[in-house]
Parts: sequence; structure tokens; C-alpha cells
Amino acid sequence: MNTHEVSPDTHHDVYSKTVFGFWLYLLTDFMLFATIFAAYSVLSGNHFGGPTQKQLFNLDHATLQTVIFLISTFTVGIAGVYTHRKKRGGAIVFFLISFVLGIVFLGMELHEFSHFIAAGSGWKKNAFASSFFSLVGMFVLHLVFALLWVIVLLVPVFRFGITARSVLRLTCLKMFWQFLSIVWAFIYTIVYLLGIV
Amino acid sequence: MIDEHHGWNLSFKPLWIGFIISLVLVVSAYRIVAYGHLKHDTLMLSIIMIGCVLALIQLIFFLHLGLEEKPRWNLIMFIFGVALMFILIGGTIWIMNNLNYNAMPRMGH
Repeated sequence: MNTHEVSPDTHHDVYSKTVFGFWLYLLTDFMLFATIFAAYSVLSGNHFGGPTQKQLFNLDHATLQTVIFLISTFTVGIAGVYTHRKKRGGAIVFFLISFVLGIVFLGMELHEFSHFIAAGSGWKKNAFASSFFSLVGMFVLHLVFALLWVIVLLVPVFRFGITARSVLRLTCLKMFWQFLSIVWAFIYTIVYLLGIV
Repeated sequence: MIDEHHGWNLSFKPLWIGFIISLVLVVSAYRIVAYGHLKHDTLMLSIIMIGCVLALIQLIFFLHLGLEEKPRWNLIMFIFGVALMFILIGGTIWIMNNLNYNAMPRMGH
């Protein structure tokens, strides 16, 4: 046996395999959103006498939401860098900043939902409203899970510090959040901007 | 040992670059829609282009797409996924538009 042979780095192996597996999950989640996007683009013209996109959407509100989510994606990235550097304080602070920005975004979105329902465009009103609530509601559901995930992952980091396992878990959370940001970029473009034009 | 991929995980620089480019893209998309000087078709096309570039910038600078070492499984699966998405969304819009067209009452009769 050649003792100088380089043994495989099993820890790095587990890391890259997990990240790849999570990447595949994100791609299947993209498929889920793609089907709902397809449904929305087919049904978005059917208003059945209800208010149209131009009457409902507020461009300033949607853009502010987009910018807030963009900032939260940026801070989640910074938290990810601190995690990889094994700096516990920085990681916790920046994940919490992202958490707060996510809550603000969620509040704005729920406010928008209640405004739409009050304006007579609840999900039962017409095909446009049904597909809109399916698409944006699915996004909100993902975001709620991401927010719960932040709390669940930060508790052990707070108690025991950053271990190899928590680097793995927090990296997956970071990827999930950044994936949501890309989905929101498409929602902002296709639903809001193209709806107002 | 820090390889190229890990270097990206440890540096703040790609995050700043991705964040600033994304912000500029969002503000420019907002600007051209809010103060619509462009024609309708040009406007639609430029909004869609900006949306795609925005997604690509975030994929590269935040999710490090295509920056791994060979064999690039992440990139290969991503390209496969994008192809499936195009078939799914494009096919749906195509067939449903055809259906709408064929289900319309004939004007000539």
C-alpha cells in the first residue's frame, strides 16, 4: 500500500454532495413555479367583470417589495460568508437582519392581498385572481417556511456555535433564500411589470 | 486549502457586485415602466430582457452557477431544467392560444 496516497476528503465530499442534492431540489421547485407561471400567463386575461391588473397593482409598492427582498438576499449572502468563515456573531446578526426584512416583506404582501380582496378581486372572483393568488400565495408559503427554517437553524448555532453540520444546513438555507429571490424577480417582471404595461 | 469555489464562498466581493447590478436593473425596469416613453412592444421586450438578466446575475453572483470545477453537474442539471421550463411554459401558452383561436365562434358563417 502506498501510504503517501492522498485520501479523499470525506467532509468536503459530503458538503459538495449535499449542496448538489439541494440544488436538484431547487430545480424541481423551479418546475413547480414554472407550472403556476404557465397557468397564470394563460388565465391572466380573464377578468369576468372584476378589476384588471392596471386597476389593482401599485408599481411603487411592488418595487419597494422587490428592493426589500433584494437587500434581504444580500444580507443572507453576507451571513453565508460569515458562516463559512466560522464567525458565529456575524452569521447570527445577518441571518436575523434577513429574517426581519423577510417579515417586513411578508407584511407588505399580506397587506396587498387584503387590499385586493377589499377591491373585489378575491381568489373566487375570476380566473385572473385565482391564478394570481396561487402564484404569489405559493411564493408566500415558501417564504413562511424559510422564515421558520431560520429560527430552527439559529437556535443550535446560538447554543453550540458553528459546527461542520451547521455550515451545511445554513448553506442550504442561504441557497433556498437566494432561489426565492430569483423566483420573485420573475414574479415582479411577469406579473407586476407586464401586468401594468 | 481554498479552491476557486470556496474562495467565492468566503469573499464579500461577489455579493456586492451582484447586489449593485441587481439594484440598478430593478430601478431601470421601474423607471422605463413608470415613465413610459418607449413603444409598447419595445417596452415588453426590454422588461423581459431585464428580468432574465436579473435572474442570471443572481444565479452567478449569489448561487455561484457555473463556477464549480469539472465535471459541472450543477450547471448541466440547471441547463436541463431551463430546457424543461421552456417546453412547459412555451408549450402551454402555445397550445392554449391555439385552443382559444379554434374555439372562437366563426365570423364568416
